[in-house]
Amino acid sequence: MTATLLSTDPVLAAFAEEVGESGPIAIVGGRTRWENGGALVDGTRTIAAPSGIVEYIAEEMIVKVRAGTSVAELHASLAERGQVTALPERGGTVGGAVAVGQNGVLRPMRGETRSAVLQVRYVSAEGKIVTGGGPTVKNVSGFDIPRLMTGSLGTLGCIAEVILRTNPMPAQTRWFASNDADPFAVHRSLLAPGPILFDGSTTTVMVFGHAPAVTEDVMMLRTLGTFTECEPPPDATGHRWSLSPRDLQTLDVAAVGAFVAEIGVGIVHASNPQPPTPLAPDVRVIHDRMKAEFDPPGRLNPGRVVGLR
Amino acid sequence: MSILDRLRGGRTAHDVDPLLVELQAALTPERVKMDSAQRSLLGKDASMFEGGVSGPICYPTSTDEVVAIAKIAERHGRAIVPRGAGTGLAGGAIPLGAPVVVAMTKMNAILEIDEENGIAWVEPGVINLDLTRHLTPRGFHYAPDPSSQQVCTIGGNVANNSGGPHCLAYGVTNPHIAALEVVTATGEVLLLGGLDAEPDGYDLRGVFVGSEGTLGITTKIAVRLTKNRPGVRTLLLSFATIRDAANTVSAVIAAGIVPAAMEVMDQKITRAVEHYVHAGYPIDAGAVLLAEVDGAEAGVDIDADRIRELGIANNATEVRLAADETERALLWKGRKTAFGAIAQIAPDYYLHDTVVPRSKLADVLDQIYEIADRHDVLVMNVLHAGDGNLHPLLIFDGREDGVMERIQAAGEEIITASLAAGGVLSGEHGIGVEKQPFMDQLFTSDDLDHQNRLRRAFDPTCRANPGKVLPMGHSCADIQQLRSVPTGVWG
Amino acid sequence: MDLHLDADDLNACVQCGLCLPHCPTFRVTGDEAMSPRGRIHLMREVQDHDAPLTDEVMESFETCVQCRGCEPACPSGVPYGHLMEQTRETLADAGALTPLWQRLAFKPLASPTLLQTGSSALAIAQRLHLVPKRLGISTELPIRRRPLEASGTDVYFFTGCVMDAWQRDVHRSGIRVVEAAGFGVTPTNELAPCCGALQAHAGLAEDTRSLAKKMMANLEPGRPILVDSAGCGAAMKDYGHLLGTPEALAFSERVFDIQEWLAGHMDRLPVAEPLDLRVAIQDPCHLRHVQRVHDATRTVLRPYVRELVELDDEGLCCGAGGAYSVLQPDLAGQIRDRKVASIERSTPDIVASANPGCSMHLAGAGVPTVHPMELVDRALGRADTAP
Ligand SMILES: Cc1cc2nc3c(=O)[nH]c(=O)nc-3n(C[C@H](O)[C@H](O)[C@H](O)COP(=O)(O)OP(=O)(O)OC[C@H]3O[C@@H](n4cnc5c(N)ncnc54)[C@H](O)[C@@H]3O)c2cc1C
Ligand code: SF4
Ligand code: SF4
Repeated sequence: MTATLLSTDPVLAAFAEEVGESGPIAIVGGRTRWENGGALVDGTRTIAAPSGIVEYIAEEMIVKVRAGTSVAELHASLAERGQVTALPERGGTVGGAVAVGQNGVLRPMRGETRSAVLQVRYVSAEGKIVTGGGPTVKNVSGFDIPRLMTGSLGTLGCIAEVILRTNPMPAQTRWFASNDADPFAVHRSLLAPGPILFDGSTTTVMVFGHAPAVTEDVMMLRTLGTFTECEPPPDATGHRWSLSPRDLQTLDVAAVGAFVAEIGVGIVHASNPQPPTPLAPDVRVIHDRMKAEFDPPGRLNPGRVVGLR
Repeated sequence: MSILDRLRGGRTAHDVDPLLVELQAALTPERVKMDSAQRSLLGKDASMFEGGVSGPICYPTSTDEVVAIAKIAERHGRAIVPRGAGTGLAGGAIPLGAPVVVAMTKMNAILEIDEENGIAWVEPGVINLDLTRHLTPRGFHYAPDPSSQQVCTIGGNVANNSGGPHCLAYGVTNPHIAALEVVTATGEVLLLGGLDAEPDGYDLRGVFVGSEGTLGITTKIAVRLTKNRPGVRTLLLSFATIRDAANTVSAVIAAGIVPAAMEVMDQKITRAVEHYVHAGYPIDAGAVLLAEVDGAEAGVDIDADRIRELGIANNATEVRLAADETERALLWKGRKTAFGAIAQIAPDYYLHDTVVPRSKLADVLDQIYEIADRHDVLVMNVLHAGDGNLHPLLIFDGREDGVMERIQAAGEEIITASLAAGGVLSGEHGIGVEKQPFMDQLFTSDDLDHQNRLRRAFDPTCRANPGKVLPMGHSCADIQQLRSVPTGVWG
Repeated sequence: MDLHLDADDLNACVQCGLCLPHCPTFRVTGDEAMSPRGRIHLMREVQDHDAPLTDEVMESFETCVQCRGCEPACPSGVPYGHLMEQTRETLADAGALTPLWQRLAFKPLASPTLLQTGSSALAIAQRLHLVPKRLGISTELPIRRRPLEASGTDVYFFTGCVMDAWQRDVHRSGIRVVEAAGFGVTPTNELAPCCGALQAHAGLAEDTRSLAKKMMANLEPGRPILVDSAGCGAAMKDYGHLLGTPEALAFSERVFDIQEWLAGHMDRLPVAEPLDLRVAIQDPCHLRHVQRVHDATRTVLRPYVRELVELDDEGLCCGAGGAYSVLQPDLAGQIRDRKVASIERSTPDIVASANPGCSMHLAGAGVPTVHPMELVDRALGRADTAP
């Protein structure tokens, strides 16, 4: 009997061919986070992953898409059926977004990137097509290769194709801003708020859902400050800090510089970089072993190290 | 020998086993057991699998003790098998090859509730429902709610990435775990994940969840808190055919609604349940759909109305909306007493667990009825229809001659049919020893090889719950070998 | 060894484990050998696979409180109580369980006079601080007792053994409440000296059978028999099963817990000013898990107290378990600690428990505990004892 997850897609076979079995190699996506994990070793061959939406089944809330597809293009197609994925829209590719594994500011509404990848197909260091996970929204069959690949910066395999979970877009999304509200109180008081952004003076918050629920949230907001409706804020830029939600309450403004903090989440977009925090030695050991297991010759994305910020 | 002594089987003191001595020194003598009663008990879990053989059983009370156990076991070349409440249905906690069993039930403290970070630190032996009960007065709960939530442990939930009826909207265990303290088989203590937004490095916390105890033992868990929802609407929709019910489920999802729960019960189980608890289920219906939406009070009616409309558009014969909490509890009571209801029919059941695409639910169910007929076994279906998770219950009396073979054969065909429909082996119970032989129907040999690499990165010596998940030839230790027992362990 | 367990009953357990958290001994030990699933598994091992009766197997059986908290939790309807009683009976018959001193200790229960004398002696000894703490008897035992007299023939009121000796005031309250509802009451006194519950728990079912037969012969047919001790009520409701005769079944049918009976006659009880108390209800296991009539406690108490509070432990046993607190003091103490913690979280003024064993066991931990009937009686304004 053949495995039901066996890939027979000639496009993927060609990509595997291109990756080959030897020589340093890296996949380029949109180059939006190209610097993450450190510089690539000189002389590394760079190739692009195949692109295109392979299959979109709105009723199943899944989409199978090749890694080279841009997130914008993917989301444009899903929007026709009123759906979207958790991947951040920052000009990059699906494969890049998965490999980097970061979340967009809409995470409180759309969920985390690491939970959006149901199945991943990648080309291994040996040039073989490997599948992890499965095509259904619920699945505990075997080890969680999709989560391993998410955020691995392409150091464990060349991501070729993923199946992503899609979410329905809410009936309404509205943004509000206030200069006198306590952003933490906003987070505590709303049942399921969208992003709450705070730059030290202005709290910008999104509420979403059915109209009556949104109205209720807006009424709640008005008890917490003078909120006025506004346009969605521009994409947050700058260096990315990963803190705990509580850390934000005691944020060292001098250290971060100009900032926008994602309240309740812990991400801070700041003008200064976050000081590096090395992985605990025992955890580092597992990382090194993982790398050695998946990429014995060390040919995948040489120079990039995961867990070095 | 007195009568009493003979009755008691002529007990002799255990031969002094150095492994036991060391373990007892590291814990306390009372918390390391080696008697035949304990070992026969812990050789089993809630699955059908016999043949587990346990070595010494340890009841640690701290991470340090778990580390000590791992190191002692390593010195003696023995494996370690973590165990929670032993409610696993895939045999994950069954000890193979007389390993040291590490029962986590005494590590059951809720350590800290950290509302500002939206998490609670708990020990792995905390019972799922106890945690939710503890959180409820503060306005929170722990979202994953397996049907066994009154007894299963958070550690077991993490290991099996368990789901439950309300995981449709909220997701199964994995997204609800922020961080884990883990002891590896060699006794290293790792902190995986973290309370910060995007912990650095590979997502080892995500990888550990669902690893069925094969990557190590979790000793401390940061679970995410979910705010209680003030608005809830529960509907019971009746249909003439299970196909109509399944179509309604697909239509609801396609309409952009993700209810908190969507559970379907077929006619046989509906009748059995109604007969048993009188929850007011329509016994002439071909299938019923129990749907629940929750959220802000102001919005829930919109979704509830829409589900009603979609039900009617798909030939619902009756739509009932629970008027109050009592009626809601009654509607759920039917679903929740499914196991009790079937116990009235025959003493044994085999609960299967596969997932298929929602659109294939009705087709696969047809096949399941046909398979059961052909093997002359009684099948009833309750399903987490919202995410395509089938739970065919094969009902039988194990004492009947040849019945186990028929159950086994029918089960295998159900799995094969699910895979052929584009599904997967398990939605929530895991692979354990139950579905190992089917892994290569789903995955290629390269796929399995890579899963094994993941495993080896954590456990190069293959001593954490060996012989589970990966099929023979791919797992680091093969089961036949594990069936044999090291010398000197029979005590 | 054949434990003489019914094969169907034993086979009904599917080892799902749903009963585990409802078992007090598993809750405090986390040890599967101390769980219902574990005990059933061991019964199977012994009966079907001839497993030896090791110390550990015996300990597993002996540590069961027989609270039967596992029964309502079991979806498969395993009749655990009967399995354990039968196991103990077989083991006691084989001389493996319930040593002679324990058997002798149960003898006086069947004899009111012996018990009265003994209890009075115990009461005096207690005042003199001669009773070892281990016995867990800490409610002050009354030294002199006034007799209970009949007021009519509408209902029997079961007075029993231990309870009559130790808590006759509770009986007085109960009788007065039933009388307040307009019923004439006949106390059973020596007509029904003992229900045999403790004997059955210890595996001395033969003794129980003979007590049951005696009681059935002495009590006139037809009349309802009210019981204010949950353990006794449960035992008497089980005579039908124990003796397996139509008469016994009919007898069991007319046994009612006093609260169960009153809950059906609330319209006959006088209205009274509620007591200004926040009362936590501690359901005795034999009321909640065996008779399953614990809702009646709420129905009967609600009009007569300011506030009722539920404990947050889903009716987990308090560890009293008849003679259990004496035979397994360590476990009983740990189980009680859990219960006391739950009671503390509910911040009551007083705890109401409809079983003498539970009251005494809790009082032993300093928890003020009364019988619900005492509260109703007090509210009805006739109480001669304050809680
Ligand atoms: C009646 C019934 C209904 C059920 N309903 C559901 C359901 O709705 N959804 C669902 O998902 N499951 C369900 N299950 C299956 C089972 O309850 C879950 O898999 C549960 O998570 C197991 O938890 P446990 O504590 O019993 O773990 P165990 O069975 O003891 O162990 C399960 C696995 O976890 C490992 N493990 C345990 N503790 C640790 C630890 N601390 N560290 C590392 N590994 C550990 C074990 O080695 C084993 O592989 C049901 C079971 C029953 C009997
Ligand atoms: S009767 Fe009580 S103590 Fe005994 S197994 Fe059942 S729940 Fe546990
Ligand atoms: S006694 Fe009942 S609840 Fe307990 S394991 Fe057996 S079947 Fe399950």
